[in-house]
Amino acid sequence: MEAILELRGATKEFRGVPAIKNVDLTLRRGEVHAIVGENGAGKSTLMKALAGVHKLSEGEILVEGKPVVFETPADSLKRGIVMVFQETSLVGSMTVAQNIYLGSEKLFNRLRGLFIGAQQVLLSMNFDVDPMALVSSLGAAQRQMVEVARAAHHAAKVIIFDEPTATLTPEEKHHFFGLLRRLKARGISILFISHALEEALQHSDSITILRDGERVANGPTSTFTRASIIQAMVGRSLSNELYGARKGVDIPIRKPGPKLLGVDNVSLGKIVRNTSLSVYSGQITGMFGLVGAGRTETMKIVAGALKRDIFYGGEIRFEGRKVRYRVPRQASRDGIVYVTEDRKLEGFFETMSIAENIQIGHLAIGANPASIVSMREARKLAAAWSSSLQVRAINSSAKIIELSGGNQQKVVIAKSLVQEPKLVIFDEPTRGVDVGSIVEIHNFINRLADEGIAVIVISSYLPEILALSDRILVARQGQIVEEMSGAGATEEKIMYAAVH
Amino acid sequence: MIAALRDRFDAFFGRGRFSTSVPVMDGPLQPNQLLEEAEVVVTRPALDNLASVDGAVLFSSGEDLFRLPRGAAAPAPIWRAPAPIPCVAVDGAGAMAIGVDGVGIDIRGGRHDGRQIRTFVSGPLVCPTAALFVDEDTLIVALGSAEFEAAEWKRDLMSRGRSGSVWRVDLAGGKAELVAGGLAFPYGVARAPGNDILISEAWEHRIVRLGSQPGPHVVLDGLPGYPARLIAASTGGYWLCVFAPRNQLVEFVLKERDFCGRMMADVPPNYWIAPALVSGASFKEPLQGGGVKQMGILKPWAPARSYGLVVELDRDVHPVRSWHSRADGKMHGVSSACEHGGRLIAGAKGPGYALDLGAVQGFVAELA
Repeated sequence: MEAILELRGATKEFRGVPAIKNVDLTLRRGEVHAIVGENGAGKSTLMKALAGVHKLSEGEILVEGKPVVFETPADSLKRGIVMVFQETSLVGSMTVAQNIYLGSEKLFNRLRGLFIGAQQVLLSMNFDVDPMALVSSLGAAQRQMVEVARAAHHAAKVIIFDEPTATLTPEEKHHFFGLLRRLKARGISILFISHALEEALQHSDSITILRDGERVANGPTSTFTRASIIQAMVGRSLSNELYGARKGVDIPIRKPGPKLLGVDNVSLGKIVRNTSLSVYSGQITGMFGLVGAGRTETMKIVAGALKRDIFYGGEIRFEGRKVRYRVPRQASRDGIVYVTEDRKLEGFFETMSIAENIQIGHLAIGANPASIVSMREARKLAAAWSSSLQVRAINSSAKIIELSGGNQQKVVIAKSLVQEPKLVIFDEPTRGVDVGSIVEIHNFINRLADEGIAVIVISSYLPEILALSDRILVARQGQIVEEMSGAGATEEKIMYAAVH
Repeated sequence: MIAALRDRFDAFFGRGRFSTSVPVMDGPLQPNQLLEEAEVVVTRPALDNLASVDGAVLFSSGEDLFRLPRGAAAPAPIWRAPAPIPCVAVDGAGAMAIGVDGVGIDIRGGRHDGRQIRTFVSGPLVCPTAALFVDEDTLIVALGSAEFEAAEWKRDLMSRGRSGSVWRVDLAGGKAELVAGGLAFPYGVARAPGNDILISEAWEHRIVRLGSQPGPHVVLDGLPGYPARLIAASTGGYWLCVFAPRNQLVEFVLKERDFCGRMMADVPPNYWIAPALVSGASFKEPLQGGGVKQMGILKPWAPARSYGLVVELDRDVHPVRSWHSRADGKMHGVSSACEHGGRLIAGAKGPGYALDLGAVQGFVAELA
């Protein structure tokens, strides 16, 4: 089969930090190619580079043997490369036909013409979707069919799917893979990212495995087994250097204190499904899971940032008391703080100074009953926490946007810890943080647990989970499916629990 | 008024006391198969009320009380009661307090030999579930229910009974003083530091402390099962037996009062949607592992009506480790335990086994 799309030495850097490094990839005509890897391995960056969302820092893209440069998604679309995102880009209030023609309408359009055209596209692909139906009334699988029909309408040669089955029911998945086979039969090449290894093994012709932004394995699917994929996904020498000390081997496991938090049968739509877990004082509880496992959502429910289902949504007990927080402030006052994974969006006010940001955390628990805030007090508070967390800044009046990622994260942590919590939930605490700061943040997290505070660390990075956790909870499809001691856990065991 | 409104609101949304959620078994309660792997010491139907005295293990089996001397191959019957024996207590001086279901308590041996306790001021001793000698002259008695006998515990649970009580009996003077009433099936009694006592309140899934503070003071709440006997450990902590698991189906049925009433009226108790000491004996039983079977084999994580669980609690009554028999096991319905010769013996009432769980001191050394 001839190569329709090639990547040679593809590198993409964000502010000097490479997300993908020197990646080669060849996609042949009519081939289904799976991309697998841990969270943060660079899969989405790679796909977005092919779809023209990101421009490569180095390397080249060849379409049908000819080098091309994609400045915008429109450039890749012109070359027949279409990306179907996890969150579909359809307009819910428009009909299926209008969505298929969206962006390629003429100056004057006949609705009947659109419907007939859309019907033809849908029938040609054997899709059972009514072109006159509103997209908002369709299920996830049917929406994907519409996305694919739109791609076919744009004469796509390559369709890229980002986690196509993450939100699909088993029946919808069955339909989706039938669709892949039909696309393949039409000579369309498919690239898809998947965390479900069975899907990659059963439905792809070849597999590429990424780790830490690099291609670590590549070849026909028949040459891979589940075990070899997991080994390739998690085995990393660089990580061993960074996270050399192991819980239960080099560092003793902390004994559990009293049970502080009980999450009993909590549900939130399809994201968190009847999940239960306990958290104990004086321990670090690690939570691992792949994207869509519901870890962040579960903890946001605990912290009052999300609300569980209205009917039979389960219970949360904090210090033996049933709690139901409507807003995070109530949780903060009880001693629960959540350190967000998305610090830029949810973690800080970027135009404010370090002192002001930390002071906001202090105000959230109602610690300052006066209506006038003393900036001198705020600066004193900031100075104390900056010193404790080793925040490197000119002074506490520096704007937080001027700090490095690691120091921003430390300020976000300080803003939470100033609330004197009993339970701290760290969501991806070292994402986008430099290596030096990672060590400091880890030391600080350990210090909190040593002081008797209950700590939850959500991380998609297995070495981090293994280095920090006294006990590890593994989440899959909205539920905690496995619990293991930090002493007996291995990357393979955790990954096995996360994908099976 | 506000409480009544909140109740209606909670009932509609399935919140508060109308929630059907069940605490998870994790952390120190993480499931294992240690009860299944334990050595069987003795087998007798409905084996219950283990107690250690004079180098022998006492236990009851229906109406009979048995004694198993150390090293003996078979137990010997020492007493037969007119009805099943739901509780036994021993003191260091050779006295035994033996509860008889629907009858009362008989004292055998010791200073008050032959003494019979049949009524308290509240009424007859219908359901003696646990007893504890504080000293030679003082006996603490837990009555699970004022309405149902101990054998009818399931009916008391499904009726949401809260008629249990704890009494302090002065054996010398013959006076009985109510320590606490309105309890939801007190099933275990143990001494706590000071003159306090700990009570396992089965239907509330908790352990409460009685004594120095007015009213019951909750020390351990939200257990994932129904607690039975609570025994002071020589290590300073406690052994807690949990005789059945909680599950969401039973929690739901407990909230559906009309359904519960009809079920109790029309269906034999063995087939109620209720916890059980043993399950899987008949195809008529409800739940049946929730259908979590593969190739005809019931999976250990299947929801079950019966389960085996012994929990070690530390001095502060926090769980530190546990022994389990899961849905696919058979050592279910653990209702009593005792330390004997430095080893922990647990009684699985469901199948009628006494199990050797290992050296008591060994656990402490391992924990240290």
